[in-house]
Amino acid sequence: MSAESIVASPKRRRRDEVRHIAWLWLGLTILLVLFSIWVPARLMGPPASPTMRAVESTMTVFSIAASPVAALVWAIAIYSLFRWKSRGEPTEDGPPFRGNGPVTASWAIVSSVLCVFLLIWGLAEMTSTTSPAEASNPLVVNVTGQQWVWTFSYPDQGDVESDQLYLPLNRPVVFHVSSRDVIHSFWVVQMGIKVDANPGVTTKTSVTPDKLGVFDIRCAELCGLRHADMETSAHVVNPADFAAWITQNGGHT
Amino acid sequence: MTAALVDQPVEPVSTAGGMLRRLNLVTAIAGGLILGLAGWLISHSLLQDDDLGSDQVVLVTLSCWAAGFMIGIGALNGPIGWALGRDLRHEDELFLAGKDQGVARYFRFTTDHKVVGIQYLVVTMVLFAFGGTLAMLIRTNLISPHSHFLNPQTYNAIVGLHGLIMIIATIIMVTGPFGNFIMPIMIGARDMAFPRLNALSLWLIVAAIPTILSAAVLGGIPTGWVGYAPLADQAPPGMDAYSVFIIIFAVSSAVAGANITTTVLTMRARGMSWNRTPIFVYGTVASVGLAIPAFPLFMASQVLLQVDRTQGGQFFVASGGGSPWLYSNLFWLMGHPEVYVILIPALAALMELTPVFSRRPLFSFNAAVISIAGIVGLSIMVWAHHMYASGWAPDLNGPFMLTTEMISVPTGLLFLVILGTVWRGRIWTTVPMMATYAMLWNFIIGGITGIYLSDVPADYALHGSMFVTAHFHYTLMGAGLTGAIGALAYWFPKMTGRMLNERAGYISFWFVQIGFNVTFLGMFAVGLAGQPRRVVTYAQLFAAGNFVSTIGAYSIGIGMLVLLYAVINSWLHGQVAPANPWGAKTLEWTVPNPIPLENFEVLPVVTSDAYGYGEEDEPASGIDPEREPVLAGASADLGPRPVGASNVEGGP
Amino acid sequence: MTTTAEVPVPGQHHDDVDAVGRRQLTGVCLLILADVAFVGALIFSYFYLRGLNTSNAWLSDGAATAPIWVGWAIAAALVVSAGFFRWALAGLRKGNLDRLVSGIGVAVVIVLLDAAAQVVQIMSFSFKPDANAYASSVYTLAGANLFHLVLTGLVGLGVWNRARIGKYTAADPWQVHIIAIWWVWIAVAGIGGALTTSFIASPNIGS
Repeated sequence: MSAESIVASPKRRRRDEVRHIAWLWLGLTILLVLFSIWVPARLMGPPASPTMRAVESTMTVFSIAASPVAALVWAIAIYSLFRWKSRGEPTEDGPPFRGNGPVTASWAIVSSVLCVFLLIWGLAEMTSTTSPAEASNPLVVNVTGQQWVWTFSYPDQGDVESDQLYLPLNRPVVFHVSSRDVIHSFWVVQMGIKVDANPGVTTKTSVTPDKLGVFDIRCAELCGLRHADMETSAHVVNPADFAAWITQNGGHT
Repeated sequence: MTAALVDQPVEPVSTAGGMLRRLNLVTAIAGGLILGLAGWLISHSLLQDDDLGSDQVVLVTLSCWAAGFMIGIGALNGPIGWALGRDLRHEDELFLAGKDQGVARYFRFTTDHKVVGIQYLVVTMVLFAFGGTLAMLIRTNLISPHSHFLNPQTYNAIVGLHGLIMIIATIIMVTGPFGNFIMPIMIGARDMAFPRLNALSLWLIVAAIPTILSAAVLGGIPTGWVGYAPLADQAPPGMDAYSVFIIIFAVSSAVAGANITTTVLTMRARGMSWNRTPIFVYGTVASVGLAIPAFPLFMASQVLLQVDRTQGGQFFVASGGGSPWLYSNLFWLMGHPEVYVILIPALAALMELTPVFSRRPLFSFNAAVISIAGIVGLSIMVWAHHMYASGWAPDLNGPFMLTTEMISVPTGLLFLVILGTVWRGRIWTTVPMMATYAMLWNFIIGGITGIYLSDVPADYALHGSMFVTAHFHYTLMGAGLTGAIGALAYWFPKMTGRMLNERAGYISFWFVQIGFNVTFLGMFAVGLAGQPRRVVTYAQLFAAGNFVSTIGAYSIGIGMLVLLYAVINSWLHGQVAPANPWGAKTLEWTVPNPIPLENFEVLPVVTSDAYGYGEEDEPASGIDPEREPVLAGASADLGPRPVGASNVEGGP
Repeated sequence: MTTTAEVPVPGQHHDDVDAVGRRQLTGVCLLILADVAFVGALIFSYFYLRGLNTSNAWLSDGAATAPIWVGWAIAAALVVSAGFFRWALAGLRKGNLDRLVSGIGVAVVIVLLDAAAQVVQIMSFSFKPDANAYASSVYTLAGANLFHLVLTGLVGLGVWNRARIGKYTAADPWQVHIIAIWWVWIAVAGIGGALTTSFIASPNIGS
């Protein structure tokens, strides 16, 4: 117990330590929240679908929710490195307390609450990002992966085939994804959707593109020699332009 | 001269050990080469194929190599002797344990757990050196989108090899060296429960390493370390080397897991009840115990893959009724427990050393044990979060999201245990303690990024991207490998009898940790922006982030070379270590350096746990590093008991 | 860690036989756990592929199948051998060493004959492993069972030889006891394999 004897007023000193850590915690939390608001979603680029918008807000919200947790751990760690550091080998022991029931319990409860929040948020997000496209009159696109190209065909438009994806603006799309050889993964980057292309079965994913432009399609599952080159483009165009493109390629709308 | 000799009794030529006297690493390699060559010739002529390295031939040859190696090292002598009824005499056991053999015992089928621990340490370092070199090649290729340093074929082969070698190295990096060398002494045992199985597990890995290296010349592993079928069905014979390696490794880890678990369950010192058992022991048992049911699933996946590759089987071929989802389910049923097999012992080692360098009792021992148990329990129920986007069972994504996010609760408790331990401690910032701080930084980042990936829609956007690569490097390297380096620096004086060069240790620490964060924060950025994993080249958009990552990786490389230098130099010429340089209270620090063959002259009886810093009934620690083990009076309930030793093992 | 020392007993260097026996039992049970996971993975693979029936090709129309009774016969022989082994163990517990040797001997002979029967079954399947997923699965399960039988036969020969030269006594039956547990497990695994391969046609036809 020699650790206590050298301190004039241990109680006050302990209060000061907690206060300093609280300030450090607050400061780090503010920095991390600012980081969460500005950085992760921005790195993901402008969203091209409600799905991607939902994913980006998830990234921001989860980052904000995690900020006080990370800030607390780092605040205590950083503080201990400066305030409680011993010069060389310590000549005395620290206080011998072996735990603190209320602290442990609240730590577990708070992390459980955060965990429940993550789950509810995730389930709500899953519902909102999958249901709309299945609702009404979706455009069906068959996506076929093979080493190392993507092929898109439009079964309801006279089986028009293309190696570039054309989609009309604001119409829900359902992709029926399959593969001719190994596993590929169909990923429309700016729309935030991805599903594996498996040989022998058809998997589905859906999205409603809501931004005009050209977006990236990449293969996200290592599929052999030219995996890195298995890229193509998704063109989101006005419905009239889409109809024109279909007709031009021998299909009907 | 003659007179002096006549007076001395002539030493009889010792026959202890029998045939094992003549077997060592050289005969093992010879046996492996002879049987491997025979297997190659026979299978090649039987199959009458013109292609010298078909899948069948490679499978037979590599299996024969491993069998020949194990025969040559003497692994079969024990079972055959047992079957013939020739039980070991005491001097045979001592020979097997490496008595009076000097350095030669490190190159034999030696059963002493300390020898096996050192062998594991060297094997781990060799694997890291190889896997790290491959990492440098990968990052060099990715320094710019137009580097063309590696062609796509070589690149894919290297990516798979790097992944697999690093996974194996991280699996054994803590439970191999420290679980074998330190843990038995920590629990007050004279050796492991099954010393011969211990040697077997080590030499199986040694036999397997050349097979995985042979993949490099057999076309590599172009599938990534996961070996996903059906890409694996069409891969070159390097894939057969992968299968043989995994099958041998799974046997080795089952044997090691059964051995370590039995040791802890049955051989703890008298008085070492579960609440006095050090937390590192819990971490070790949790890891190897989790591996026992997990790795056989990996082994099964490779058996099925070999049926596909060599017998034309249809397990993973969709047109024949097979399914790639079978492979990915078997793989991840092993694969997710496996990341905790890697992490738990590393975190437990840090929890073990944090009280020593904080001079504080471990904060909430019970919470630490509960959280380890919780992680183990949940880890077998989360595998399909690797398969959210695979389409195998979209309706299960919600439940798997739940179990995955629940793991953050026990993991969070581990942070509390460490923070509570440093709270108002007397922090001694040695290299091992710095590893704890680095873990606190890195593992928070690794954990939080894991939460994004556990969220199903966010995972749809991020799965298969560099974001995932950065995330698991933050956990397995930032927390796992950092913990293992901390453990190495902490136990180095006990294992080698010399202090690890502190200055070199700090230099290495900062190069590695700063380089690590630069590398993988850059990788997070390009992953969020949409760069896929395992690509040989990428869009111009990602050029800046990749350049930064590569520079960071070189810094890690420099730091690791410094660490390698520090280890070799300190091992050979370092300052001689006192028995207990850190003033720690676990049992391994009570035995002298060098540690005698059976560790304890007299077996200790434990009357308290190892975390009594600052408590009344003990003198303050850290004052006299050379002091004798504290011998307090035995509690009344501890009656006399025969002194145990554990060099016997008659079972099959 | 506060410790006290035990008084060393000169010359005594081994734990008592029951401590060693229990330790070995623990270790073997853990190894059996690993084998349970392995066999379980093979059985899981069978039912998973059968349930998925990808491309309707688990067992295409008219494809050859293995007669169910052969698998059950091999499993039944395994059960009988395990029974003999346990009978031998019970004899050892009563101190009847002749019964020990003869019981183990019969058990080993049955297992080795069973292994031969398993080889004959594998050679005489009316399909090749590349026919369909069913065929691959049946071959693999049969192969795993053969591996069990051969391994057990070798261990059985060893324990028979040791019993013959008098290594076991009623006071230390641990090794025989432990091997009996292994024997029961491979019988259970054999039944598991026979049961699995009794479910042939996929319930998931069409689509």
